[in-house]
Amino acid sequence: MSEQGIKIGDVFDWELSRREFLGMGAVALGGLALSSLPFAPRLFSHDTSPARGNAHVPPVHFDREVYTLCEQCVWRCGVRAKIKDGKVYKLDGNPYHPHSNGMLCPRGQAGVATLYDPDRLRFPMVRAGDRGSGLWRRVSWDEALDYTAQKMQAIKQQFGAESMVFSSTHNLAQTQFENLLRAFGSPNYGTQRSQCFNAMIIANLMTFGMQEPGRDYSAAKYIIYAGRNLAEAISNSETQDLVAAIARGTKVVVLDPRFTKTASKAAEWLPIRPGTDLAFFLAMLHVLVTEELYDKEFVAQYTVGFDEMAQAVKPYTPEWAASKTEIPAATIRRIAREFALAAPHAFVHNNWRTSNFVNSFQAERAIAIINAISGNWEQPGGLFPDAGESGVPLGSIPQPPYPRVSALRLDGVPWKYPLVPLDIGVFQELRDAILAEKPYPARGWLIYRQNPIASLPERRKTLQAFSKLDFIVTIDTTMNDTAWFSDVVLPEASYLERYDPLSVVGDAVFIRQPAVEPLGESKSGLWIFKALSTRLGLQDYFQYTDEEDYLRQQIKPLGITLDELKTKGYYRPPSAGETKTGFKFDTPSGKIELASSSLAKNNFPTAPVWQEPPAPPADQFYLLTGKVAYHTQCSTQNNKLLHELFPRNTVWIHTQAAAARGIRDGDEVFVESAAGKVKIKATVTEGIRPDCVYMTPGFGHLSKGTRVSYGEGASDSDLHLTYTDPASGGQALSQTFVKVYKA
Amino acid sequence: MTSENKKRWGMVIETRRCIDCKACMVACEIENQVPLGKHRNWVGQIGPTGTFPTLGLRFEPGNCMHCENPPCERVCPTGATYQREDGIVLIDYDKCIGCRYCMQACPYDARYFDQARGVVDKCTFCVHRLDAGQPPACVETCVGGARHYGDLNDPNSEVSKLLATNEHTVIYEEAGTEPKVFYIS
Repeated sequence: MSEQGIKIGDVFDWELSRREFLGMGAVALGGLALSSLPFAPRLFSHDTSPARGNAHVPPVHFDREVYTLCEQCVWRCGVRAKIKDGKVYKLDGNPYHPHSNGMLCPRGQAGVATLYDPDRLRFPMVRAGDRGSGLWRRVSWDEALDYTAQKMQAIKQQFGAESMVFSSTHNLAQTQFENLLRAFGSPNYGTQRSQCFNAMIIANLMTFGMQEPGRDYSAAKYIIYAGRNLAEAISNSETQDLVAAIARGTKVVVLDPRFTKTASKAAEWLPIRPGTDLAFFLAMLHVLVTEELYDKEFVAQYTVGFDEMAQAVKPYTPEWAASKTEIPAATIRRIAREFALAAPHAFVHNNWRTSNFVNSFQAERAIAIINAISGNWEQPGGLFPDAGESGVPLGSIPQPPYPRVSALRLDGVPWKYPLVPLDIGVFQELRDAILAEKPYPARGWLIYRQNPIASLPERRKTLQAFSKLDFIVTIDTTMNDTAWFSDVVLPEASYLERYDPLSVVGDAVFIRQPAVEPLGESKSGLWIFKALSTRLGLQDYFQYTDEEDYLRQQIKPLGITLDELKTKGYYRPPSAGETKTGFKFDTPSGKIELASSSLAKNNFPTAPVWQEPPAPPADQFYLLTGKVAYHTQCSTQNNKLLHELFPRNTVWIHTQAAAARGIRDGDEVFVESAAGKVKIKATVTEGIRPDCVYMTPGFGHLSKGTRVSYGEGASDSDLHLTYTDPASGGQALSQTFVKVYKA
Repeated sequence: MTSENKKRWGMVIETRRCIDCKACMVACEIENQVPLGKHRNWVGQIGPTGTFPTLGLRFEPGNCMHCENPPCERVCPTGATYQREDGIVLIDYDKCIGCRYCMQACPYDARYFDQARGVVDKCTFCVHRLDAGQPPACVETCVGGARHYGDLNDPNSEVSKLLATNEHTVIYEEAGTEPKVFYIS
């Protein structure tokens, strides 16, 4: 193996490096010969130069069809991978999976370009120059894992296990990553949830005792969304349900400062002032309570704290809310009455992301309470208890008890954020604690398929936090921005090449299984964690010989074989469909808490209250972010097919605001916040409030190892400021104000 | 196929169900190995129209209209473009000389020139799938359920029923092309 570094980026070419390696050790790379790379012809149609005329006749019969699970986002649709000549030719939706119902969104369809992305990580690498220099040395798995384990052990021995930080994004192997964290003995764990919907989760926990109740679209007559943009932030089955509901005549009201595609489909779009969703819902509560438009019987039987809540919302008249929201009082009153008339076949959807302020927790509480008092619980068209991922009992893998952890968590859970669950955490606070070295310095960070450099607010701070650490390891499928600034990069096999722990949806269990062999030397998370644990002396926590053995232990109570599960891709136990009785709200009172005793205990307002959000100065704008249908967070921009649909973001600005600044559609502008400044093209539109601008998140990548997305668009993380809601730990993503001027 | 049981393939698109996710475009690209940068189908966007806050926005998915009276066929000097008995308009790539008259003639801009192969190409209605009893790739994956296909000659087909119970239009009716892609708004 060469000691000389190889450069990724300006001069680096994956194929060139392959040829360099071939010269050094052709044996190790035999399986990587270019001609044998399993690229879909589609992605290289220009290279293959078909003969003139030569018609491509697509196949209709395939060698194999593999039923597995998509991972282009976290919704986990069922897919049918159609295999021809050892390659995945196409992906179709699995009609038996309730999340896809036979359809895939553009990201799911484009999965072949993720699988055959020329920028995939193929072998373990160790940094051979400065961080971010793009100089890497290819190493064997043994060397990479030995080195990683040795550094982790040294940190543990010298500074304590808590000096090693672990973080991971929502994925099926996350349970085993968390197993590694607990076995290692560190309390420090980060997930992406505080960037997304901590406010929703904690508010629902405080009210219903569950993170997110299910919603029955099939009989809903009235739905209110606040920021949730299902036509663009596609959650496949829920998006299907929404479109079907609208076609059926369900009245949909959308509160959003921006004219989203969901807003365009709604019966009514209300361009609410950012940060004031809370005022709208408090006023709705006021109307429902004062006009007695709620389900008294349900409230009496299944809830506690009504009187306290009713007292709390008394001051919040629609007239008061009109001055905050810029929505007429009559409209608010009318919508409250319409909603009550449609109840219980009506619900207010939890909002997340689009308008996210420190007061969002209160807004989420108000939403939960509106639903509760409408009596829509377990009613057609209302909310229902969602068993989540515990609907089918699976076998567990034997392991010894975890070591006791006494160190404080860096992210302040629970000593600063008493309501936030440990497995969710407050990620931005973790980053800030690493930076401040308080309450103690962190030394190392093991990152599993997560991209904090791109996803956390104030990217500069995240980069500075990295510089505080002695050792950073990233496990991922591509050289994303976080991998680019790491010391060791371990290649994970893509979702179409590996097994993961089983996925339970409703009353059935689904399997992710390899459709094709892993590219290069990439491995599954299950394999990587076990191999690393063995070197850390933690093998007793990983008692499975390989991925299939892990799955066999999981399906043991089900009485089926792994082959049976693999053939159909899912299994529904015979007991499925039986009505479960004895549901109890998992709250201190066992009822829905309109006034929450847990909140009272922790000195938070027990019933929802108004908290005035900050507003931008006259010459500045609210900075909004929100998804498009063509990308998932910061992870799909390097996919060629999706890049083709949406190559780079722009900044939306209202026609009048643009004219006042001499900005025309397509002009380059600077967007500047207190955190940073980016250059980006402007989209001038009527479809946004004049006091707001909008950017699609996830662009402006720094890594030259992702050659399609590098340099495309601008990063919202360069602009976002860090504000944390003390109750939920949620990052207030919309609380950043910006100046916009011509570049 | 006997004449009394003659199929007439057509599409019905419910524009109110289209959310512009473009899954149909990606599905088609992969299914038919369309060169990067070219597309056989599209989602047109009309709007936002109006002024804030009174706005409208509409999406109009499309592809080759498989016209009953296809202008592309008429202008083709070699007979490469032809219509099947079931109404689907196809290209015989061995006969296509790449002159691109058909691209000029098509009012829907449904055709593109495939540089590598030196021929014109377009939507085939996924005829390979149809002949195997499968839906076109764009229809199968449509998240909003906006795209429908079926036999226009069969009164019990999904498309016939949709057309019988809804007002519908075609694009550029005045051109006399008689498209077999119908729109319900």
